Amino acid sequence: MDVQSYMPVQPGVGMEENFLSLDDILLSQERLPCRTETTFPRLGFLEKSSDTRDIPEGSKMEMPLWLAKGLYERKRRVLSVELPKVYREGWRTVFSADPTVVDLHKMGPYYYGLGSQLLHFQNPENPEIAQAVLQTFIGRFRRTMDSAQNAYNEDTSALVEPLDSLERALFRVGQGGLNAFQRWETGSASRLTASSLVLNYRKRKITDLQD
Amino acid sequence: MDPSEVEFLSEKETVTIIPNFSLDKIYLIGGDLGPFNPGLPVDVPVWLALNLKQRQKCRIVPPDWMDVVKLEQIRDQERKEETFAPIPSPYYMELTKLLLNHASDNIPKADEIRTLVKDIWDTRVAKLRLSADSFISLQEAHAKLDNLTLMEINTTRMFLLDSLNCMYKLRSNMQPGSSATRSQDY
Repeated sequence: MDVQSYMPVQPGVGMEENFLSLDDILLSQERLPCRTETTFPRLGFLEKSSDTRDIPEGSKMEMPLWLAKGLYERKRRVLSVELPKVYREGWRTVFSADPTVVDLHKMGPYYYGLGSQLLHFQNPENPEIAQAVLQTFIGRFRRTMDSAQNAYNEDTSALVEPLDSLERALFRVGQGGLNAFQRWETGSASRLTASSLVLNYRKRKITDLQD
Repeated sequence: MDPSEVEFLSEKETVTIIPNFSLDKIYLIGGDLGPFNPGLPVDVPVWLALNLKQRQKCRIVPPDWMDVVKLEQIRDQERKEETFAPIPSPYYMELTKLLLNHASDNIPKADEIRTLVKDIWDTRVAKLRLSADSFISLQEAHAKLDNLTLMEINTTRMFLLDSLNCMYKLRSNMQPGSSATRSQDY
């Protein structure tokens, strides 16, 4: 109802990101720990900690995902990308134990998106990462659904807080369906009400305008 | 799709009314109605029945499933069965709401009917949620839901479809050598 004329580009979720999706652009800013495998001449200014002119081979640095993706090549080793700790074995075990207790917003907030994007970097643990991301989604689905469909007219900030941005979008959609149904059932959908904008709008006095 | 649009579709269902006026057969674009004679039952679409009722031109005969005993049976069957039980009308929720809101004086035991229908709805929606959860956790790709009504599907459709879409994408990550991996390899 309120989103019909506003259709933002949805995030791509999988390995392909959507070029115009704002969520995917924000996701591509996430930093990844990298190790350079060649010298990067005259790019020393990128690294704040040292004041050399070049970035020497083998130095460890953090790069945004978009840059790492652009520089990474399978054949010519320019840099190698290490896994952020959320995707390493230890955390994967935590996720497999009980995915619902983890605060994915703190871990992410693009846990699923970044996990999918990491698969570009030919890591030997790729199958495990993909599996862990999928299982986490499945394990948390029930909770997202239940909280979205039982939350009519109540404060949802506590429910939404530990959710990944993808889950938040799902939560909003689920709640939208519930709300629309409740509005219909109580009959408030057919009643005309003043827009909240108008209610908050204070009439300006003529004296304000003259100042 | 908004619930009011589902309600719009449900208003095409026919219901029997007993008019208190006479009118010749009317030729509407979707079919002929009438003739209307005082005291003689006639089948009309719900939207017309409600309009005539509001103008106090008719009395509405409730559909035969809108009955406390029958609804109790349906409710008990719904609770017993694991899958969705057949439902008397594909628009039971909408018709109950419309008829009870506008013609509750023509429907005996309106309050009990309202409660029963609400119970049936709650049972079915809880079942729907349960089956959606097992659908996701078993990573199924298709399902058959014959006895669900449009209103039930509509409340959860966007959520379930978006979730399945996400799950599909996360699952296709696991296939190595998909188009995405190859495009990186110039």
